[in-house]
Amino acid sequence: MAVEIDSEDPERFFVRGKGRYVDDIKLEGMLHLHVVRSPYARARVISVSGGITGNELRASMEAVGEDAGGEENTSVSFPVLATETVNYVGQPVAAVLGDDRYEAEDRADEVDVQYEPLTPVMDPERSLESGPIHRQMKDNLVAESVLGKDFKANAPIELEDTLRMARMSPNPLEPRGLVAAYDGSMLTVYASTQSVFSWREGLAGSLGMPEDKIRVVQMDTGGAFGSKGGIYPEYVVAAHAAMKTKRPVKWIENRYEHLMTTDQGRGVRAKMKVYAERNGKVKGLKADLLIDAGAYPVGGGGWVASWISSQLIGPYYIPKAYATSRAVLTNKVNLGPYRGAGRPEAAFFMERMMDKVADETGLDQAEVRMRNTTTKGWTTPLGRKTPPSKPFFNEALRAFKYSSRKKKEKLGLSLFVLVPASSGGESAKVAVKGGRVKVWMGGNSHGQGHGLFAKMLASKELGVPENLIDFQHTDTSALSSGVGSWGSRTAMLGGGAVVEASRKLKAAAKKKLGKRYSKARLLEGEYEAEAFFKPKDFLNSLGANMASARITKVGMGTIDEVVSYYDVGTPLTPYMVESQIEGGTAQGLGEVMYEQVLYSEDGQLLTPSIADAGLIHSTEMPKVVAMTGTHRSSLKHGAKGLGESPTIGVPPAATRALEVALGRRFSYLPIEQEKLWAVELPKE
Amino acid sequence: MAGKIHISLTVNGKEREANVQPRRLLVHLLREDLGLTGTHVGCDTTHCGACTVMLNGKAVKSCTVLAVQADGAEVLTVEGLAEGEELSAVQRAFIAKHGLQCGYCTPGMLIAAHALLQNNPDPTDEEIRDGISGNLCRCTGYTKIIDSVRYAAKIKNAHK
Repeated sequence: MAVEIDSEDPERFFVRGKGRYVDDIKLEGMLHLHVVRSPYARARVISVSGGITGNELRASMEAVGEDAGGEENTSVSFPVLATETVNYVGQPVAAVLGDDRYEAEDRADEVDVQYEPLTPVMDPERSLESGPIHRQMKDNLVAESVLGKDFKANAPIELEDTLRMARMSPNPLEPRGLVAAYDGSMLTVYASTQSVFSWREGLAGSLGMPEDKIRVVQMDTGGAFGSKGGIYPEYVVAAHAAMKTKRPVKWIENRYEHLMTTDQGRGVRAKMKVYAERNGKVKGLKADLLIDAGAYPVGGGGWVASWISSQLIGPYYIPKAYATSRAVLTNKVNLGPYRGAGRPEAAFFMERMMDKVADETGLDQAEVRMRNTTTKGWTTPLGRKTPPSKPFFNEALRAFKYSSRKKKEKLGLSLFVLVPASSGGESAKVAVKGGRVKVWMGGNSHGQGHGLFAKMLASKELGVPENLIDFQHTDTSALSSGVGSWGSRTAMLGGGAVVEASRKLKAAAKKKLGKRYSKARLLEGEYEAEAFFKPKDFLNSLGANMASARITKVGMGTIDEVVSYYDVGTPLTPYMVESQIEGGTAQGLGEVMYEQVLYSEDGQLLTPSIADAGLIHSTEMPKVVAMTGTHRSSLKHGAKGLGESPTIGVPPAATRALEVALGRRFSYLPIEQEKLWAVELPKE
Repeated sequence: MAGKIHISLTVNGKEREANVQPRRLLVHLLREDLGLTGTHVGCDTTHCGACTVMLNGKAVKSCTVLAVQADGAEVLTVEGLAEGEELSAVQRAFIAKHGLQCGYCTPGMLIAAHALLQNNPDPTDEEIRDGISGNLCRCTGYTKIIDSVRYAAKIKNAHK
């Protein structure tokens, strides 16, 4: 009952409707799972009966993949199915099965849950003064971080502002989902995922199973943007149901469920204070961050506090800095990664303050930034290594034609450091058999076309033409280990692993064949090599954006053009680099103009459809000019990070451009629509 | 649930029959009963357009059409765009101009583009943007999709 996945060129496959997404799987005897969810943001569960409940499946969630790494608050666990309390709208309480999704949904009627509603904590500002959401905790503090040293300021200019980014939903076009199948010994999970290895680890942890009894296979994955790197309660329930019924079980999220129950990103408030000289040089920074961690002290809430504040200085030289940060609980779905995952927040907060310095001193926004750049790499007082930013910013301004364009246009700028998730490394495997080469990577594409560079790199190393190379979907049974695809890491780390595995394979073939070695003989044999690539150097890179705004005839601020200048090292697949920038620009603009998840005071979701969530449409997309600056990468194959750069650089540049066009300061994203209207209409 | 209703329809030029519950959606008839999984469900609420198919010559979102409403109708899905192994102009243009990334919105985008070019063989960029404005894409920022549709019009017009 295996699922066959074709390894043909994905573009040719997708345009014929032949993609193999997880919802396309049809297995003999397959059941559909429907999850019964809490209608309350906070309630005591008095009783629950019918279907699969937490009394039967006593399991809790593990923080894995991109979510892992925080300081865990172990006093509270996040249950797979709630039995005592529910803490966000949509939290899973029970699950039912049916022969198709219609029957499964009908069966929800068989579940009876009695609740005693409680007053939810919705505003993070009031979280610490409210009673604890979880009785095991003394308050609602998840994590606290203090970076740098407090200092006494002595500067002619002191500027402060409160800045905020709303909670946002990742919203890939393909929702989350899986099919779980059990043969009496082995659990096989077909997944829409950013990381098969994280899924295996998480499922093994929650189900108390050894990892070698679980195989996770990645299907074509229709976008993720952070939402598919870790595991969720539904995956554990579906796996449990497959083992219980001995029938394959499918669960596919609907969009309402995605907006309610898939981890949301951003959701941060920053009180920023900068101390500057009259010449625009910033001497000190103080910041206090408050992060809306959602309902359970697992995952994002644990690491985001120090992660964001460590990046606040960005590409600048600011000798003194002190950043405090707290992540607090609210009765909302957990905080998780959304494209950028902390990086866009840090850049938005710092860049907004640079613009404030420009306004205060009367200096040009480019000049203020330039005066705060460095000619040498350094480690900031908040602990981040930063490349020399002055020469790069000069290049970017020239590429933007900033000085001539600023005379005629309403422009905004941004300058930032991309800190990719390069720690942890990544795996790849290369095999030769039957005259063809197969390539796997531990973390794989969910729309970025990683197969393109994987094939190119293997071809270059082995001297085998790309048409003889097949790129494989990731599968825990194909590789001995792996990490996952997030944090702008895969071209660097997965690519590096493909290079190393190819070299290993070639060396093995040369050893065996000796002087007889040739490309033709290599393909006649059978070889296999796996490599785990972990770079020694830090791989941070620089990026800059420029946005141009205007006021439309009806009097509304709008963005006309977004230009990017990112250091991507050697672009491995140039058109894919462009595609990443264009798509990321759309998301960055979405963050500025519309995207957010809103709740009522009683914790009900006010943005329950994809239309409410505020995705950019084709009619709203401005001109995008994608430029890259090629600076040497420390990696053999030349790659640097890219995927998250537009969501970091576009929001501050676009916000500034709108600010310049409309003449009013913006401190919140998304900008409220009524604030995008010009008071006066431009003359015809 | 009430009894099933017998329907017959033409899908991608083939006569098909099915017994369906009155509540069954056209997208589920296509995907689950007829095995045409190219048509995708993205949002369930008619916003994203991943489920777009041609119904009697018009582009519709099959997640909000009942299967029984398609009784006697002609349906064209992404699987019916190519003629055998030969891809249609729209499909070739999306490959040539890289009008896709994850591929999930692609079938709906192709059908929307097909419908647009059927009614307007030489659209302006603004008309292309309008023509696909009922379809959401989260990966591409639409830029390369718009390029693809423009190129598809060019290919089609060159073959006239």
